[in-house]
Amino acid sequence: MYELFIAPLTEVYFQKALIGGSIVAVVAGVVGCLVVLRRMAFLGDALAHAMIAGVAGGYLVMKMIFGLEAHAPGMLLGSLLAAIVTVALISFVARISRIKEDTAIGIMYTGIFALGVVAVSIFRHYIHIDLMHFIMGDILGVADIDLWVSAFVAAGVLTILIFFFRHFQLATFDPIMAASIGLPVLMLDYLLTTCVSLVVVSAVSMVGVILVVGLLITPAATAYLLSDRLDKMMGLAALFGVTSVVGGLYLCVWLDSAGGGAIMLFCTLQFLVVLAVAPKYGLLARWLRLRRLVPQQVVEDVLTTVLRHSGPTPVAVIKTYVHDDRGDLARALRQMIQDGLLRQAGEDYELTEKGDVEANNMLRAHRLWEKYLHAIGTPHEEVHATAHHLEHIRKGGAVDYLDEKLGKPDTDPHGKVIPGGSS
Amino acid sequence: MTTESPYVIEVEHLTVSYHARAALLDVSVRIERDQLVGVIGPNGAGKSTFIKAILGFIKPDIGTVLINGGDAQKATGQVAYVPQRGAVDWDFPITVQEVAMMGRYQQIPWYTSPRPTDYQAAREALEMVRMEKFGERQIGELSGGQQQRVFLARALAQGSDILLLDEPFAGVDAATERAILDVLERAKEAGKTLVVVHHDLATAAEYFDKLILIKQRLYGYGTPQAVLQEDLLAKVYEGRLRIFRDVVREDAS
Repeated sequence: MYELFIAPLTEVYFQKALIGGSIVAVVAGVVGCLVVLRRMAFLGDALAHAMIAGVAGGYLVMKMIFGLEAHAPGMLLGSLLAAIVTVALISFVARISRIKEDTAIGIMYTGIFALGVVAVSIFRHYIHIDLMHFIMGDILGVADIDLWVSAFVAAGVLTILIFFFRHFQLATFDPIMAASIGLPVLMLDYLLTTCVSLVVVSAVSMVGVILVVGLLITPAATAYLLSDRLDKMMGLAALFGVTSVVGGLYLCVWLDSAGGGAIMLFCTLQFLVVLAVAPKYGLLARWLRLRRLVPQQVVEDVLTTVLRHSGPTPVAVIKTYVHDDRGDLARALRQMIQDGLLRQAGEDYELTEKGDVEANNMLRAHRLWEKYLHAIGTPHEEVHATAHHLEHIRKGGAVDYLDEKLGKPDTDPHGKVIPGGSS
Repeated sequence: MTTESPYVIEVEHLTVSYHARAALLDVSVRIERDQLVGVIGPNGAGKSTFIKAILGFIKPDIGTVLINGGDAQKATGQVAYVPQRGAVDWDFPITVQEVAMMGRYQQIPWYTSPRPTDYQAAREALEMVRMEKFGERQIGELSGGQQQRVFLARALAQGSDILLLDEPFAGVDAATERAILDVLERAKEAGKTLVVVHHDLATAAEYFDKLILIKQRLYGYGTPQAVLQEDLLAKVYEGRLRIFRDVVREDAS
């Protein structure tokens, strides 16, 4: 136990990775919620790729003008500029040409990424950027400066998001209303894009270009499956981000694997587990709901059976008349008592007032369909069975149409009274 | 500033275009206070654009929209808006109560949380549309009519005198349509002016005090009797005349 859990904690590199990773994960999770809800996931990817051009540019400029080697703030500023230029180019191309936005994103981020790669390789004797480090990230080698940068970024971005929570919520949910009450919707868009860029830039050094978008959207998507409120979703996303980092780092130490990869792997597994078992939006819940769903046909058959039997009806009688090959009957009866259609009288079942109205509507539909089938010349022996199928078609005024068309008949072909309609 | 004019919405020579195509062309109309006004016209006639222009959400190429005598682009919050059902993300993590609270966002300073009075106002608005029992539900879990009523509550919570509704009756059953109309009429009695985009000509005469008939241009504004004229409708809905004969006749009877 000690070897597995406590020993890594005593290592400085592990502590730094844990702290840095958690800081980044918290803020990425929170911002990621807005990214997911606005369907901008691809944009995060684009920003991460565009960064390399910015880093190379920042490095070059700082070195040529000030003679500073690998000046971190310079590279950070360069990344931000590259991110903003990419976003501007994307929206420019999407707006002025027939190219749609997703295509524009694909073109621009690969183009700018390529520019960065070419620049880094041309100036390889002049600037020292490890492309592999950039692409894969190096969370186990987090430098103190990276920690400070990400802490400041996180503090700044979180402050903005908390203060302007309602603004972002409304602008995301209903931009038209946001604009109509005077929120600066366009400014908020830019502000959010800037926040996303900052987060991406501070996270790339830890998990790398390729995985950063996962850290942005996977915890948020996981939280999305569990929450019905944005504030709760943001809290959960932050939590899932941190658990991904913690779990991933242990995984990485135990398996001796790449840090960024282990974190994203853990994060994805975590998503899959939640997708399976989430109480409301999970696959298991969905399957159970579908299974528990009582077919409307069974409910309607029970109603008419009890109505025809007139008075308390034993289960045995219901069983003979209700077609039930999936074993839904017991559940249907329970559900109908809960819905106030039936009530139990000793061992028997009887209709409540609401159930009576429903049952009469059913019977009316059935007898009108019989009348109709009779009128269009359906063979006598098929009339009842066919009407039994058709009686479930009642939506959109179908029954009233029949009534009208048949001249509001009082009796069905068997001479039985057709009950009056009510809804 | 606010002039004492009988008109709450004054639209003058409004032209809005998307690229070369005019969505609205030289539309001028003045809407009086305390009216339930229907905006009718075929698909793609610019009905939604008209609503968005009144909201000040789109900038006209030319022309002015005055809300209570002031420019619509600056008159923020005087007009409340109920979006088309299709325009809302029903999977958004937000509850009924939170949507109603959005109506109060303009009154809440950015540095504080919603105050007790805001909660009160949001709850009252939900009570007005009889949705107070559903406060904690996520909006996607409601029926179509309930969803419509929640957004109505949000518009009422805004406290604006003018409400714009984009197709509130689309995709709801007859009983729900009644319930929504009921809320609209109560809002009118409370002194609101409502402008409603509507697609069903058959009910237009019955529901509204005034009708605006548009297809890019303004074809008519006035009482249903004045607007639902066979020749006017024929011009706007080319080739689908048969349907309108009924409408016009019903209206005459």
